[in-house]
Parts: sequence; structure tokens; C-alpha cells
Amino acid sequence: MAQTKVLVLDERRGMPPGLRDALDHVGAEVHVRSPGEVLAASPGRLPEVTVLLASAELAPHTVRSVARRLDDEGQQPSVVAFAEHDLHLLDHHVIAGADYLAPPFHPDLVRARLRDCHERAQFSRTMEDVAAHAELLSYERELEIGREIQLGFLPDSLPSPKDWEIHVRFRPARTVAGDFYDVFEIVNRRRLALVVADVCDKGVGAALFMALIRSLLRHTAEQSGLQSLIAAELMGEDAGWAEHSRAIPVVGATPLLNAVAGTNNYLTRNHIRQGYFATMFFAVLDPATGNLVYINGGHNPPVLLSADGGEPVLLEPTGPAVGVIPDVDFSLGYARIGPGDTLFIYTDGVTEARSADGEFFGEEQMVGQLGEAAVRGEELLDHMDGALSEFVGRAEQSDDITMMAVHWNPPGAPAA
Amino acid sequence: MSFDIRLRINERIAVIELTGELDAAAAGRFHDTVDEAATAGAIELVIHAAHLSYLSSAGLRSLVFARQKMGDEVRIAVVGAPEPVARTIRLAGFDHSISLVDA
Repeated sequence: MAQTKVLVLDERRGMPPGLRDALDHVGAEVHVRSPGEVLAASPGRLPEVTVLLASAELAPHTVRSVARRLDDEGQQPSVVAFAEHDLHLLDHHVIAGADYLAPPFHPDLVRARLRDCHERAQFSRTMEDVAAHAELLSYERELEIGREIQLGFLPDSLPSPKDWEIHVRFRPARTVAGDFYDVFEIVNRRRLALVVADVCDKGVGAALFMALIRSLLRHTAEQSGLQSLIAAELMGEDAGWAEHSRAIPVVGATPLLNAVAGTNNYLTRNHIRQGYFATMFFAVLDPATGNLVYINGGHNPPVLLSADGGEPVLLEPTGPAVGVIPDVDFSLGYARIGPGDTLFIYTDGVTEARSADGEFFGEEQMVGQLGEAAVRGEELLDHMDGALSEFVGRAEQSDDITMMAVHWNPPGAPAA
Repeated sequence: MSFDIRLRINERIAVIELTGELDAAAAGRFHDTVDEAATAGAIELVIHAAHLSYLSSAGLRSLVFARQKMGDEVRIAVVGAPEPVARTIRLAGFDHSISLVDA
């Protein structure tokens, strides 16, 4: 048993000689104070003790004040009242929950009482640890729930149109952020919807809004896809021709606009108070031509890497983040993924990844790494994963990291 | 990562000075300070951001809250934000509801 540290509390800073001898005999470290001295002591100036030995002549509420004062300092000593002659004074203290010591103060009896106190103090510390641990567990549980929600709303598998390679890396952060991605067929399987998005903030709230936003986007795009196709056919629109004219809506543009504007309106009408929004890149791809029509709602610009090693093209925002501004207009952006090209779509977890010294990976370094990589498709994601790991080192990943590579690899396409 | 926030109100113009990183951990203090400014009846909110080194998406969300809290008639200006912070605000399209002003 470690050395017992005792604070003797007495108005006159005294104690029965027999008790003093016994404490010395058992090797206890003894501090003697009056209640006034303890209560007036500045923070950090009180001795650390495991037992508060209080004279029974003090009022129980005085002893309680002293115990509270010690509690403020992070100490929870066991309270033991002692009396030399007026043993009836012990009653109030015992009723108030204190233990007691009464003459004769035999060293063995005192030691046994102090040992009880020591064990009780340890037990109460253990209980506190258990409580703290339980709290931590419930926090961990919350994180787990958030992650389950998030993972439950990601696609199980991605469609793979002929000659296209679509790969995703998703590295959720420990503190659940709201990244998501989606790839699905629309317009009677003639077009492919590609989505990478990031719901602001962290925690279960972000995960719930991720689930809501993902569902709204997918549902609206899938539902409006058929109507727009029918409309296009009724109007006798030639899809192949429309593809090259920016003045005329291309197939897939309607579901795209409906999905993004519809989600924006839904969020701003029903959830504006919660303040959640998502940045997103939502593109509709024609796998037959590589033509892409997209909305970039306040999202980090995806990078289009050409097969011939030309300058990477950034697909800048065409509107604000989704869910903040009611009835805002989103413009359409147009691009083309040529044979052998790759479109790299990502979330800010990539550019805001931090090294151990707090440096950001940054867009410049990311585009540099993309350009340097002599590989495409899944190997490009491996390359970026490696570059990120190397940069981050042992620092903890604080945000979700999502990367999607969309690569067209028709027979005879130029190799990267 | 460190974060510091100071508020002073002069002639109903609230000036908030931000230092360090406004992220999920710091957002609560930012909200409290904006509440204080709104309660004091500020008619303009000026956010000095010259020493704001990072604005996370949680920080952007707290700007949305500031916009809501202060009401549409109150002008909110972010002054002197370093380029990465200004870019985060512009990228999300928040530079339409909040004025980005060079120092």
C-alpha cells in the first residue's frame, strides 16, 4: 500500500497526541490545517491527500465545504471524523456519511481504518474511470452510427459500361464527415450519372444529410430521366446532333438540372435552419461519345487529364453549394472525356489532407501528382493514395477522402 | 489547432477578429460570438480574417448560420482573408451573400 496522505482538519490545528503518535507509527504523511486555511487556499496550494481526518468538534457542513473545496482540486479523499472525549459528537458526522476514529488510537486500528479509506478512494477512482470510459464509448457509438448511415448510402457496386473504367477510393475519417459518391444509369441506360459530393461539417448530422441529399439526387435523376427521354423523342430531337450544340438541351441535361435544382429547393425550403449544405460535382456522361454535361455546385474542380499529356483542365463551379441559396440558378458545364483520357473527381479531404507539421496537400501539389502519374484509372488512384499517405505521414486523417477516376479505354486508344 | 476570436461593437457595427483555424472545433465559439453581436443589435458585421489561416466546411457552415442569425438586412463583410480562405468562400458561392473585401 502506498503511503497514506492525511489532512487533519481542526479549528485550532490540533489533534489528540495518541492519534498523532499512531499516524507517525504507521508512516502516514500528515498535514494539519484549519477549515479556514483550506477554504482560503489559492488553487493548487493544497497538499494532495487521500484521507480527510476531521475533528468531530467541527460542524458537518464545515467538513463538507472543505471536502468540496478539495473536490474542486480534483481530490476525493475519504472523510473520517475523530473525537477524543466527546464521542457523541461523532454521530452527526457518521450520519452525514463520514467514517470515524475513536480512542484508543492503537496503531493497528488506525492502520486498518486508513487502509479501508485507501481502498475506498481507489474504488471511487475506478468508478470514475469506468464512467469516463462509458462516455467515451457512447461517443464512439455515435461515430459508429454515423459511419453506418454513411456507408449504407453508398452504392454496393458501380456500373461498368463497355470500354469505361470507373473506380473509387473512399477513406472515411474517424470523425464521420459527409462525403459520398454515386454512379448510376439514367435515361434508359443511355447515360451514366456520376456524383461526388461533400456535406459540410461532421458527425451524425452530416451523415443524415448525406443520406437525404444522396437519395434526393438519385431519385430525382432517375425519375426525370425517362420523362426527358420521352419528351426528346416526342419532339423528334436527334440526340446525336443535340450533343454538339450547346444551345439545345442535351439528353441527360434535364435529369441533371432537375436533380440538383430540385435538391437545392427541397433543402432550402425544408431544412434551411439546420444550415447543412453540400458541395457536389454531378455529371451525366454519354459513354458512346465521352461527352459530359455537368453541374459543379461549389465543389473542388475535378481535373480532366488528357491522354496526350496536355495541360490538365479544371472543371470550375457552375453554381453555388447546394442547399444554401433558395431558387438559385445552376448553369451547365460541358466537357469531353476523349479516348484514353481520365476525369479525376475528388473531395476537399484530398487537398486539405495535412502533414504532421500541419501543411495542406493543396490543389497545386495534387494536380502536379496527377500530371506526373504515368498511369490511368485504378492505378492513378493507387498513385494518389500513395502520394497522400506519404504526405500525411503519421498525422491523423481528419476528413473523409473520396477520389473517383473515370477513364475511357476504347480499343486502340492512346496509352497513357 | 489554435483559434482565437475577439468581438468589439462600435456604433452598432460589430467587428469580429479571427485568428487561427475556423473548423468544427472552433465553430461553437464563432456561433456564440455572432449571437452576441446579433443580440447587441449590430447593423453591420465585419469579420477581420487577415489572420484566419484555414476555413473548413464546418467553418463555412458557421458563416451560413451567421447570415441567418444577423438577418438579411445586415451586411456581412469578410475583410482581408488570405487567398486560400477567400477561395474556399468563393468556391462554395458564398461571396454572393457575404461580401469579400480586400484589406
